[in-house]
Amino acid sequence: MKEQAVVIIGAGPAGLAAAYEFICREISPVIIERSGTVGGISRTESYKDFSFDIGGHRFFTKNEGINQLWEEMLGPDFLKVNRLSRIYYQGKFFNYPLRPVNALLNLGPVESLLVLTSYCRARLSPQPEEKSFEQWVINRFGERLYRTFFKTYTEKVWGIPCSEIRADWAAQRIRGLSLLVAVSNALFGGQQTKSLIERFSYPKLGPGMMWQRFMDRIMAGGGEVILHSEVSAILHDHKKITAVAYSNPETTSELSAENYISSMPISRLVQLFNPQPPPDVLRSAGQLTYRGFIIVVLIIDRQSLFPDQWLYVHSPKVQVGRIQNFKNWSRFMVPDQSRTSIGMEYFCNENDRTWKMTDDELVEMATREMEAMEFGPASQVIDSYVVRQPNAYPVYDSTYKQNLLNIRNYLDNFNNMQTIGRSGMHRYNNMDHSMQTGILAARNCCGESHDLWAVNEEKSYLEEDRITKETPVVPEKVLIRAFARMDKFAFAVAVGTICGLVVLTATLWIISRGGDVLNSHLRLLGQYFIGYTVTVKGGFIAFGYSFFWGFLFGWLFAYLRNLFLAIYLYRIKRRIELLSLKDFLDNF
Amino acid sequence: MGKPDTKNTPLSPEDKLFSGVLLLNAKVVGLAMGLILALGIFVATNWLIIKGGERVGPHLILLSQYFIGYKVTFLGSLIGAAYGFALGTICGALMGWIYNKIVAFRH
Repeated sequence: MKEQAVVIIGAGPAGLAAAYEFICREISPVIIERSGTVGGISRTESYKDFSFDIGGHRFFTKNEGINQLWEEMLGPDFLKVNRLSRIYYQGKFFNYPLRPVNALLNLGPVESLLVLTSYCRARLSPQPEEKSFEQWVINRFGERLYRTFFKTYTEKVWGIPCSEIRADWAAQRIRGLSLLVAVSNALFGGQQTKSLIERFSYPKLGPGMMWQRFMDRIMAGGGEVILHSEVSAILHDHKKITAVAYSNPETTSELSAENYISSMPISRLVQLFNPQPPPDVLRSAGQLTYRGFIIVVLIIDRQSLFPDQWLYVHSPKVQVGRIQNFKNWSRFMVPDQSRTSIGMEYFCNENDRTWKMTDDELVEMATREMEAMEFGPASQVIDSYVVRQPNAYPVYDSTYKQNLLNIRNYLDNFNNMQTIGRSGMHRYNNMDHSMQTGILAARNCCGESHDLWAVNEEKSYLEEDRITKETPVVPEKVLIRAFARMDKFAFAVAVGTICGLVVLTATLWIISRGGDVLNSHLRLLGQYFIGYTVTVKGGFIAFGYSFFWGFLFGWLFAYLRNLFLAIYLYRIKRRIELLSLKDFLDNF
Repeated sequence: MGKPDTKNTPLSPEDKLFSGVLLLNAKVVGLAMGLILALGIFVATNWLIIKGGERVGPHLILLSQYFIGYKVTFLGSLIGAAYGFALGTICGALMGWIYNKIVAFRH
């Protein structure tokens, strides 16, 4: 059995990024990949020279290191694309991100009024608890808007009622918009106005081109990528992983290494452990679920179908959830510009009714639905291709957190194993997150200490104003100090004391100077401070009065200051929540 | 290979914002109050000088009972501003100091 420095399971963005990091550190990794191509779910498939992406992958990131890596890999082959994607609902196209005027015009005056009424009702009388995604959205946007723009699509994607999706999942989707950064931008303006939501990068020949370049660099640097090989067992001695067994049609082999990094589904990973993990860990692994999807590629004998890169299909009458138009991502995805290839995406569970449909049945359904949406007659479909993608999205159901924790606790026993990527961490990581976990895992193997679970934990994403929002004009520490609550009592006492001392000192000063003290103008204070005279006793009486009024003034000042700041922060918080409406669907 | 402890999550900046209590920088508060008072006296004095009239600043001159050397003249406005700055700085700094002490005691 050959001893390696590191074995990486899975050649998706996370695994490749980890391997490339090792190459940069002159360590030769070995990657074991089940399929025949690299890239995982963000690979590019090809059929008769038509290239297509599995789900549509835009390249954008707040992580400058990752961005530089992408640019370094592709250079001029990294296209900049102006984004257009809309929502298809009841035969109409709604701009996306949603624009109020466009949405209201498309909905019509009656429906718009109902939406506004429903929104106001939700704001005035929110549901007291927010346990489910449904409650979370309704409390923020109203029931009518929820039913129009959230319910159908979300349920298509996840296959479960919105009332069964946890509210914290929705909250996680918007957490990336930092309140403090929003405050900073509101006060001082952003540094960059161009929103990345309007523009993204894309490899000329699809994302697979990026991962192919990674693989080329890894292999040129001495790394090894073993394709068509499925991991069949993870061997261990309860403290360390000792070897990984894998098999392909020709052979079965074992690889032993100092460190192991896995991007395969974390549930599958522990199921492959030999000796087996404790029953509760296996039970947790069995309960972690992933959502898959099927993409039915239709090649249509038409130059143009619609200008969008993709459409979100909210109509409940059709089963398709999203439609990709590949030539609008990059014209190089289509060999013949007089034709169009679209990807009809059906979200489903592995082995459910849709998953089990034959390719012919799927093509027939996709063609029928395309026709029903009036994108063209079925006769124009000249060819088709079907791809089934299992484990595409980790499902955040009501038990996933505990199950994941059980598995993590078990894996913590093994010091030389790290899990990375979307499936490897059962977390909704984007490509850049996944790559970051891979890079950090590689660095951990080299002696550094990074918390992979913190990636995409503290700063989730909303793309709107992403750069400006992630780069506050004023440091957070300063904003926290400036916007913290003022202690009303402390301020009142401080102001009262100073006011009292000023009047007392003024009185004593006049007395100490002598002369016609009683006729001093200071005596006029007696008009307000009854009983005050320009005497020592009067000075202390004035101290009492001044302290009282100073206290009142100080308390009121601090109260109003806190109140106005709270209103200001509340408004910004509301704005952040509304921004999530604009950007919500991109997070699926 | 190090595996950091990930179980204890620190407070987020937002949590810090909502749970924190403002502390004043006594020196800065003093400086600000000093400047405001100094500017106030300077402007008030010179405003009366510019306005002119038979008796210039019959009431403002009462400040001279506290600020020795102060007059309702341009030079007097500078002297008054210096006094005002000193008084404002002391009062502001003292106020900030008292506030911070009470906050430290209460939280």
